[in-house]
Amino acid sequence: MTKPQDKLRGWAAARRTVLAGLRFTSLRLRLVVVFGLVALTAAVSASGIAYWLNREAVLTRTQDAVLGDFQQAMQTRASTLRQHPSQGELQRAAGQMANSSQRFSVLLIAEDANGRTVRGNSDLDTFTLEDVPRSLRKAVNKEQKITSNNKYAYHLYWQRTVQGDKPYLVGGAKVIGGGPTGYMRKSLEPEAKDLNSLAWSLGIATGLALIGSALLAQAAATTVLKPVHRLGTAARRLGEGKLDTRLRVSGTDELADLSRTFNRTAEALEKRVADMSARDEASRRFVADMSHELRTPLTAITAVTEVLEEELDAETGSVDPMIEPAVRLVVSETRRLNNLVENLMEVTRFDAGTARLVSDTVDIADQITACIDARAWLDAVELDARRGIMAHVDPRRLDVILANLIGNALKHGGSPVRVCVREERADLVIEVQDHGPGIPEEVLPHVFDRFYKASASRPRSEGSGLGLSIALENAHIHGGEITAANSPEGGAVFTLRLPLDASEPKDPENTGSADTGPADTGSDAGRTEGGV
Amino acid sequence: MSWDRMTSVPSLLLIEDDDAIRTALELSLTRQGHRVATAATGEDGLKLLREQRPDLIVLDVMLPGIDGFEVCRRIRRTDQLPIILLTARSDDIDVVVGLESGADDYVVKPVQGRVLDARIRAVLRRGEREANDSATFGSLVIDRAAMTVTKNGEDLQLTPTELRLLLELSRRPGQALSRQQLLRLVWEHDYLGDSRLVDACVQRLRAKVEDVPSSPTLIRTVRGVGYRLDSPQ
Repeated sequence: MTKPQDKLRGWAAARRTVLAGLRFTSLRLRLVVVFGLVALTAAVSASGIAYWLNREAVLTRTQDAVLGDFQQAMQTRASTLRQHPSQGELQRAAGQMANSSQRFSVLLIAEDANGRTVRGNSDLDTFTLEDVPRSLRKAVNKEQKITSNNKYAYHLYWQRTVQGDKPYLVGGAKVIGGGPTGYMRKSLEPEAKDLNSLAWSLGIATGLALIGSALLAQAAATTVLKPVHRLGTAARRLGEGKLDTRLRVSGTDELADLSRTFNRTAEALEKRVADMSARDEASRRFVADMSHELRTPLTAITAVTEVLEEELDAETGSVDPMIEPAVRLVVSETRRLNNLVENLMEVTRFDAGTARLVSDTVDIADQITACIDARAWLDAVELDARRGIMAHVDPRRLDVILANLIGNALKHGGSPVRVCVREERADLVIEVQDHGPGIPEEVLPHVFDRFYKASASRPRSEGSGLGLSIALENAHIHGGEITAANSPEGGAVFTLRLPLDASEPKDPENTGSADTGPADTGSDAGRTEGGV
Repeated sequence: MSWDRMTSVPSLLLIEDDDAIRTALELSLTRQGHRVATAATGEDGLKLLREQRPDLIVLDVMLPGIDGFEVCRRIRRTDQLPIILLTARSDDIDVVVGLESGADDYVVKPVQGRVLDARIRAVLRRGEREANDSATFGSLVIDRAAMTVTKNGEDLQLTPTELRLLLELSRRPGQALSRQQLLRLVWEHDYLGDSRLVDACVQRLRAKVEDVPSSPTLIRTVRGVGYRLDSPQ
């Protein structure tokens, strides 16, 4: 059950990391690309030039040596032949010419005494007249005018050809004065091999340069991006409320400046927040202390007003009729002051987070009936609740919520108020619906605000202005919620939703005591259960 | 606690440091028909306790010198007379500490004299005798006629609240009673009773009647319901 989920989560996490990496390394990527391009340009141009120069040098040297030898051989061998040599003589001369240190093939062409064309080959299989390009043959056999610039009628010509993927140097000359025409062919394969291996080396060098530049770019990116990453992390921590986040400043570059600025900002922020929370705390404490202080005189006054009240309710005549209204006023206003201080204390407890649940398992219908009964609302409230819905709640806090919701409904909507209780899965849902005009739309979002008055002209209600706010806080501490709305058939509906077992949420220390009571140890409860 | 003393005007000792509250409560309680002696500090209160032997003590928590919890603890060392705490703060830790130090009930300031009077009368009623039989649970013998409890023939010193709790449980042996039921039966509280009163009292009672209080065999917890008195197997 958990395994595929874990896998999925792992996948998702990995994907997130990769995506974050890509997003984060966009600067890194750019640096690598730029470094790579620079290295590529430099390496390619350098090796290109080197290769070209080398190639020319190697080929020229070989060519010069070969052609020099060929010319020499033509002069020494071909020009000494008779005007019209025979096939055999020509063949022999070609063989001798080819037998030089340069190892080229020779083809000699002449006319014999009968006017037939005879050919002498050094090696017949590999070099024939077809192997000599037509343009070269034409150039060699062309007789040129003899001028001051050009002393000879025939010249030595050469050309580089490729036959069957193999490079060759082909040259040709004609012996001046009616001698044979000679062609030579020299394979340039060794040179091509040398040049190829040179090209390979240069290519490998370029590749290495690229890799090196990428590594350098990585290193450069890391030195820049690491501080940026740290800064980003620190800023995020700061945003999460860890105001004591600071960066270690090293160096004097722009990034160090940025870190210093960050630290100063964080410090200022921390100080401001501390100031504000201290002020907030002080004002909360003031309200809490104040309501505590108000209690002492109120306790004394409350005890005495009761005496006065009894005096009023006793037989007539014991109190001066002129004084009676004054006494009644004191009695009723004292009660109101009591409620106000009580609510104020409740609110400060919620604000300070010291409010605790004292939960017990109770029958909800019984609790609501008792709540209505205690306030003499039985005639004004229709209760729709079946007995036997048990919930683990704080009875006192539930009573506060119900009294405020029902009291509010009676005050603003008028009777009858309908209270409906039902269970929804693990939740207890209590709806309080009145038959009044409903809540104006603009007031609806503020009904739970403290001391919120719908309008300034509205007469001050007898409530403290804290009732619904306290009801909401009491629902929250149970892990529940109250929502206000207008029902389609008119009238406001307040819906209270509490978990049936409110001992679970938030407060583990409270849970223990609420569940089994401070008197019980866990083992005790467990053992007893086993014994049942 | 004898029968005739219950019918007479109950005498109370009020320990409260604030002059105004002390005067006002004295006035109110006197009008409700109690004899009230007052003390401004815990030390004075303890002295007065030895001289006057009141039926019940109303004790403020916040006292100069030794505080209400300590006064409560010192009284409990020798005496089982009922104590009602007067707490200015309804902060839960106060209530828990107060109940653990042996108080029978508590009221939160500002308290109405009528409410305090009702609590006082409820506590005092707990010592009243109502039946003439006795019950035995293992080595524990509850004599409802003499209102005494003996364990292995030895008299146990129980406060009226502890005694009443034991009596209510023993009247329905083997049947679980919810905390709210017990609050109504023993403390006579309305539907808003504080369940911690029951838990604290059960703990004190276990300390007195059980052989090993941490693993009780007589007063058993029924999880999610309440408590039940069993005969040990």
